[in-house]
Amino acid sequence: MTQHVKSVRDAGMIPKRILVGFDGSPFAEHAFDMALNLAALAGARLAVVSVATLPEPPGEVETKAALESATEHYEAAYENLRRRAEDRGLTLETRILVGHPAEQIIRLAASTHVDLVVVGHRGRSRISEWVSGSVSKRVVNHAPCSVLVVRSA
Amino acid sequence: MTDVWARAALWLGLALVATVLSIRLRVATALSEIVVGTVAQLLIGAFIGKALLGTSEGWITFLSGTGAILLTFLAGAELDPTIFRAKWKESLGIGFVSFFAPFLGCAAFAAWVLHWTPQASWLAGVALSTTSVAVVYAVMLELGLNSTNFGKALLAACFVTDLGTVLALGLIFAPFTWRTVAFVGVGAAAMVLLPWLTPRFFRVFGGRPSELEAKFLLLVLFGLGALATWADSEAVLPAYLVGMVLAGTVGKDHALIRRLRTVTFGLLTPFYFIRAGSFVSVPALVAAPGGVLGLLAAKLATKTLGVWPMARFFRYPRTEAAYTTLLMSTGLTFGSISALFGLTHGIITQTQYSILIATVILSAVVPTLVANAFFIPRYLLPQPAPSQPGSADAAMGGGAS
Repeated sequence: MTQHVKSVRDAGMIPKRILVGFDGSPFAEHAFDMALNLAALAGARLAVVSVATLPEPPGEVETKAALESATEHYEAAYENLRRRAEDRGLTLETRILVGHPAEQIIRLAASTHVDLVVVGHRGRSRISEWVSGSVSKRVVNHAPCSVLVVRSA
Repeated sequence: MTDVWARAALWLGLALVATVLSIRLRVATALSEIVVGTVAQLLIGAFIGKALLGTSEGWITFLSGTGAILLTFLAGAELDPTIFRAKWKESLGIGFVSFFAPFLGCAAFAAWVLHWTPQASWLAGVALSTTSVAVVYAVMLELGLNSTNFGKALLAACFVTDLGTVLALGLIFAPFTWRTVAFVGVGAAAMVLLPWLTPRFFRVFGGRPSELEAKFLLLVLFGLGALATWADSEAVLPAYLVGMVLAGTVGKDHALIRRLRTVTFGLLTPFYFIRAGSFVSVPALVAAPGGVLGLLAAKLATKTLGVWPMARFFRYPRTEAAYTTLLMSTGLTFGSISALFGLTHGIITQTQYSILIATVILSAVVPTLVANAFFIPRYLLPQPAPSQPGSADAAMGGGAS
């Protein structure tokens, strides 16, 4: 079995590096759980990326305040994710970026050569999607690797 | 007192609407507050009467002015002195040219093309000379350029440009008298003394629930602000300078900065930006859109004429030089502060003020869009260290935070 997994992985059919887009929502939690299971099964490296979106145009002082607030929020959430990963024998890598979520996830996926990006599906209304765009759709369309969009039950 | 509380409730209601809008639309709170102020005054003026907002009431003027002073102080305190010392040649060179070129160019455009009075033209030059540190900082973070030498030098240069703006605002419109000499003398002494005194004073008496630090800083800002206005200058000038000289000490105290931000954004700046927006005349803007576009073009052209050759002088490749030029063409906060100063001191008319505010807002958006669409120096995109927001590539690359 192990030999089979190794040969399949060497053939590029099992991900060695998994990246999860995480915004702290229940949808993202669900995507993380799925990615954690996959990483544990495949013996893959697991990383989480969160993206702080700043207001446009960025205002003096407010920009740094928004960034600090987002960093604190995500760092607190990562503590929980790290514990869950450690319970499965995995070391979690984390990253907080700034900008548009889809753009930053795609850029990170490309520059770090991940095999699989996992994102949650928010199930938003069409109007909401039209106004701010769907992160998962953009990632699916433009990521340089396979993308798993996790739907919550 | 009923009038005061009712009016305060009205202003905070408008501030709340502006904040909700800024969250939903993901726009800067300052921009949202300016727009809400403009629309509120338009609607209230049409249906109830312009006096309802009470923009000239003493206490509203005080809260608004304190908002501008604290915001300017906090903006100055964001300077990183270490970076500035490391990159001072480029920062001073690009920063000062980035101030002087649009200052002179936009003033000339206002005087010779728009036929504004000399004083109004100088004010237009000051308002459009600014560079938005926040815009440049956000773009640097987004691209991960903030950790590169290029990004650091550019950020430091923005502070130099804004320093030029507040110096011009504080000194050009003041009559040069013995009061000016006294203001400059006392101000200079304070700038030397404060970085030495403040941390020592805070070490002995600070860190208590009585918020001694905030009281001390407000005392300094109000005192120097009083001195500035006594000399017919502007209170935001010493506030920005105090912020810069205390950036290495007070600016590093995140807890204190956060408490000051709470007061500033929670109460004071809404009064400032809503008031600034309430003075904008929509009919004047509709009647003269050419003035807005002309001044915006003048700002972009003069920034290009000044910053591009300077960036090339410092051996920036063409793409980097173009990118630097466009990012240095942004501006929002100091532009609106300068315009409001001009209006409240009778230097510009309401129409000219409206044109300047619209130009300032556009200048915060248009150059960034063009820069990111056509001139990103992609070869500079870094391999950054982990744990710092704003840089891709560390996760999976061996770095974990």
